[in-house]
Amino acid sequence: MTSWKERLQDEIPLEMAKLIDTYEAQMSLRQQGKMDEKVFAEARLRKGVYGQRYDNGQRHDGVRTQALAYPSDDIVKGPDTLWDAPGMQRIKIPYGGLSARQLEVLSELADEYADGILHITTRQDIQLHYVHIDDTPDLMRRLAAVGITTQEACGNSVRNITACALAGVCHDEAFDVSPYADAMTQFLLAHDDVQDFGRKFKVAFSGCAGHACGLVKMHDLGLLAQSREVAGEIQRGFTVFVGGGLGTVPHQAKALADFVTPEELLPLTQAIARVFARLGEKKNRNRARLKFLVAKLGIDEFRRLVEAELEALPHDPRHTAYLESVDDFVYKPAKAGLRLNGAPLPEGFDDWYRSNIYRQAQAGYSVVTLHTPLGDFTAQQGFELADIARKYVGDNIRLTVEQNIVLRWVADADLPALCRDLRKIGLGDAHAGTIVDITTCPGTDTCKLGIASSRGLTAELRTRLIERINLLPDAVRELKIKVSGCFNSCGQHHVADIGFFGNSRRSGNHKLPHFQVVLGGQWQQNAGSYGLAVGAVPAKAVPEVLAALTERYVAERAEDENFQSWVKQLGRKEIKAMLKPFMQLPTFEENPAFFSDWGDSRVYTIEDIGVGECAGEVVSLFSMEISKAESTHFEALLALDDGDWRRADENAYRAMVLAARALVRTKNLDVGDDSDRIVNEFRERFYDTELVYDRFAKGKFARYLFKRHAGQPTRLDEDYAHQVIDETQLFIENIHSAEQRINGVIVG
Amino acid sequence: MQTVPKRLAVKLNLARAPQLQPADIMPIFQRWIQQRTVPGMLIDVIDYKHVAEGPGIVLIADEADYAWDLGAGQAGLRYIRKRALPDSLAAALRLCFERAVLAARQLEEEAPGAVVFDFAAAEISFLDRLAYPNEAGVASSTQSALSELLPGLLGTDVTLSRLHDDARYLLAFRCEAGRSLADLMPVSALAG
Repeated sequence: MTSWKERLQDEIPLEMAKLIDTYEAQMSLRQQGKMDEKVFAEARLRKGVYGQRYDNGQRHDGVRTQALAYPSDDIVKGPDTLWDAPGMQRIKIPYGGLSARQLEVLSELADEYADGILHITTRQDIQLHYVHIDDTPDLMRRLAAVGITTQEACGNSVRNITACALAGVCHDEAFDVSPYADAMTQFLLAHDDVQDFGRKFKVAFSGCAGHACGLVKMHDLGLLAQSREVAGEIQRGFTVFVGGGLGTVPHQAKALADFVTPEELLPLTQAIARVFARLGEKKNRNRARLKFLVAKLGIDEFRRLVEAELEALPHDPRHTAYLESVDDFVYKPAKAGLRLNGAPLPEGFDDWYRSNIYRQAQAGYSVVTLHTPLGDFTAQQGFELADIARKYVGDNIRLTVEQNIVLRWVADADLPALCRDLRKIGLGDAHAGTIVDITTCPGTDTCKLGIASSRGLTAELRTRLIERINLLPDAVRELKIKVSGCFNSCGQHHVADIGFFGNSRRSGNHKLPHFQVVLGGQWQQNAGSYGLAVGAVPAKAVPEVLAALTERYVAERAEDENFQSWVKQLGRKEIKAMLKPFMQLPTFEENPAFFSDWGDSRVYTIEDIGVGECAGEVVSLFSMEISKAESTHFEALLALDDGDWRRADENAYRAMVLAARALVRTKNLDVGDDSDRIVNEFRERFYDTELVYDRFAKGKFARYLFKRHAGQPTRLDEDYAHQVIDETQLFIENIHSAEQRINGVIVG
Repeated sequence: MQTVPKRLAVKLNLARAPQLQPADIMPIFQRWIQQRTVPGMLIDVIDYKHVAEGPGIVLIADEADYAWDLGAGQAGLRYIRKRALPDSLAAALRLCFERAVLAARQLEEEAPGAVVFDFAAAEISFLDRLAYPNEAGVASSTQSALSELLPGLLGTDVTLSRLHDDARYLLAFRCEAGRSLADLMPVSALAG
C-alpha cells in the first residue's frame, strides 16, 4: 500500500515537503529520546501541533483525579505533555481565504484525523481537535497538496496574517488589502528573521479605519490601508501600528508610521521583526510580546531602532517582486451580478437578509455571512458548502474573525436560492453579527489554560437569546458579546460591548466557576478601545446578569446612545452595585447546580488547569537550527535503511550544511541559504580561527564538510553512505561542542 | 486479504425518536468515565449538539470514541475505532460491532424507554481515504469482502448497501442483519 507521502509527492511544493519531512524526522528523534523535549515542543508548535487539556495524563472526573494511562506513557512531546494524548492542529488560512477544494480537504481531515468538526478561530485559522501527533505529518502533506500550510501556526513566530473578510468588496476601504496580506504571508513564512522571537507575533491588515474587521489596533503589527494623492495620482500606502495586543494586560497599538508605501512595507516589517528578535524579552514570557518592548522603549525610540535596522537591511528582491502581481489579484465571480428579480422568497428571508447580507461595492453582488455556532461546522457541512460555493461563488470563501464564514460575490438574484440551499445544510440561520452571534475561545473544553467553560456559557446564552431574538430591541440585538475561558483574551472579550472571561471563586470547601464581566469595549474603529472589568459573577448567574444589563440599558439609554457611552455614563460604581446581588454565593448544599459549569455535569474543579503552550517554548535559535540538521541526518539514516545511497548522501551533506549554518547564524543572521556562502563563512569564522577545533581531533570534523562540499562522491554504495552518515554525525557533535564553548548555553 | 483501515466506525441508529435531549447524554458519558463503564481509556466528553447533524455528544477515548451521533439527522450510537485496530479486517469489524452494541445496550439500560436502538441494522464507515477511497471499484470489492466476513462474525445473514457514491465522502455501508445484533452479542462476553 502506498503512503500519503508517496501519493502526493508530485503535488507538494519541494520546500514544503522538506519542512514536513524534517518535522517527521524530529518526531522520530524525540520518540527515541534523541531530541530535547523543549526543542521538540517548539518545533512541533511551529507546525501548529498544539497540546490539549488533559495531555499531562490527569483528569478530574468530578469525584477524583484519574490517571489517564496512555499507551506510551513514558514518551513526551513536550514538558508534561504525553505523546499519545490527543492534541489540536492549528491550520493557517491567510486572511481567511479558502477555495472550495481546500474546504473539501479540510473536511476530509476532520473526518479522518479529528472528531468530524472544523473550528474557526478568532484569527481566521481552522483548528482540528483530538488529533494524534502520529497523524500530523500526513495531515500536513494533504494540506500542502492544496496549498495550505501549518508552518508557524503556533509557537514563537509570525502567526496567521489576518485581514478584513470584506477586503476587495467593501464600500469604505481605501483599497483591497488581500494581495498585500498574501505577499507578507509568503515573505515571512519560515523567514530567518522570524525564528528567534521570545513570543508570538500577530499581524493584521485592515482596509479602513472605521470598521472592526481588521482589528489592527490590537495586533503586534497592524497595517491600515490609506491612499493619498501625489502629483495628481492616487498612491497606496499603510499607516503602521505596532505593539497592540489583548492578553492579560491589553495594549492599544501605537502608530509607528503614518504612510508606508507598498515598496516599503516588507522591508519595514522585516526591520521590526529584527528589532523584536534582538531586543524583545526572551526569559520572562509574560513580558515577551512586542507590546512590552514598545512600552518599555517608547514609540519614538522603537521607531529610531527600526529605522536604523532598515538602513542596514540587506537588499532582497522579494521586497518588491510581489508588486508586479498585485493587480493580478482579481476575483472571479461564478456568475454575473444580477439584482433580485422578484423571485419567490423563502420564509424568514427578510430577517436573514437584514443580518447576514452585505451589499458589495460591486453592483449586483453581495457578501453572505454563514453563522457557524461557536465557530464550529461539520465535515459533512464542509463538503456540502463546497458544492454550494462552486454553484454560486466559485472559490470566493473567507473565514472571519467573528468565527463565521462568508461567501463573497453572490449575485443578488441568487440570494433566495442560496438561502434555501444553506438552510438545507444547517448554515442558513439569520442573526449573523447580532447579539446571538457570540465569539468564544475553546475554554475548558480543550484548552489547558481554561478556567471556566466559555463554550458552555456561549451555547447557553445563544440558546436563550435565539428564543427571544425577535422580542429584543434593535439596540440590544446589535450588541457584541465575546467570551474567553480565562484572562488570556483568546475570545477577545476586551473589545466587546459585553465581555466575559473565566475565573473561579470559593464557597465553603468548593470552587465555583465564575466569569468576570467586562463592559464597554469597542469593536468598531479596528478595536478602538478596551472594556473595563466590573466584577466577577458565578457562571450560572451570567444569563440573569446579561438580562439585567440589557434591560437597564434599554430603559435608561438616551436616544441613539450606544452601549459604551451608556456604560461610561453609568459608571463603574453603579454597575458594580447592579451586579452585587448576582455575586452572592450559595453553599453547595443550597444550590449544587452553581458548582458545575455550563455544559459540564461534573462538580467543578480547577485541578485540570495545566501549563499552556500559547507562549511556546523559549529555546535558542541555535537549538532550533541544529535540530533541523539532526533530523536531516536522521532522514539520511532512513535512506540508508531503504538502500537509497544517493538520498543518504544528499541528506547527510545537507545536514552538515545545516549544522554549519546553525553555528554561523549565531554570528551572522544574514548568512542566507546558499551552501557556498555558508561553508565559506563557516571556514572563515570557525575553522581558520580554530574555534571549531576539537581538543584531540583538531579540525578533522570540519574537514568532513569541506571534503563533501568540494564535490560529489566518486562512488555511491553502502560503504560510502555509511561513512558519510557517520562523518555527519561526528560533525554535528563537533558543532554542538563548539557552540557550547563559544556561546555558553544551548537551551534557554 | 483486506487491508485494515486506519479507522473504522460502526453506528447503531435509534429505532424511534429519543425521549431525551442530547444534553441528557452528557452526564451519562461523564458517569461512564467516572465508573469506567465501557471499555477503553476514557478521556473526556465534548458537546457538539449546537452543530446541525453533527457528532452530537462525544465520549473521547484514547483508542476509540463513543458518540451520541446526530449525523444525517439520525440519532444513534457511533463507535469510532481510531487506534490499536486488530490486525485483520474481520477482527476489527468484530471489535467495532461489539463495542457499539455494548454501548448502545448500556444507554438503553441507563435511559429505560427513552432510548431504543434498532439492532437489526448498522452503518459501517471506513475512515481511511488512502486505503479505502469511496470509488466504485473499491466499494464493490469491499462490499464483497464484508458480505463474506459479516455472516460469520455476526452469526446472521446480512444485506449490504453502499451509503454514498460521492467520492469525497467516506466509504460507508448500511448493513441490515437477519437477527438482532443485541441478541448475538451478550454484554458479559464483551467487557474488557
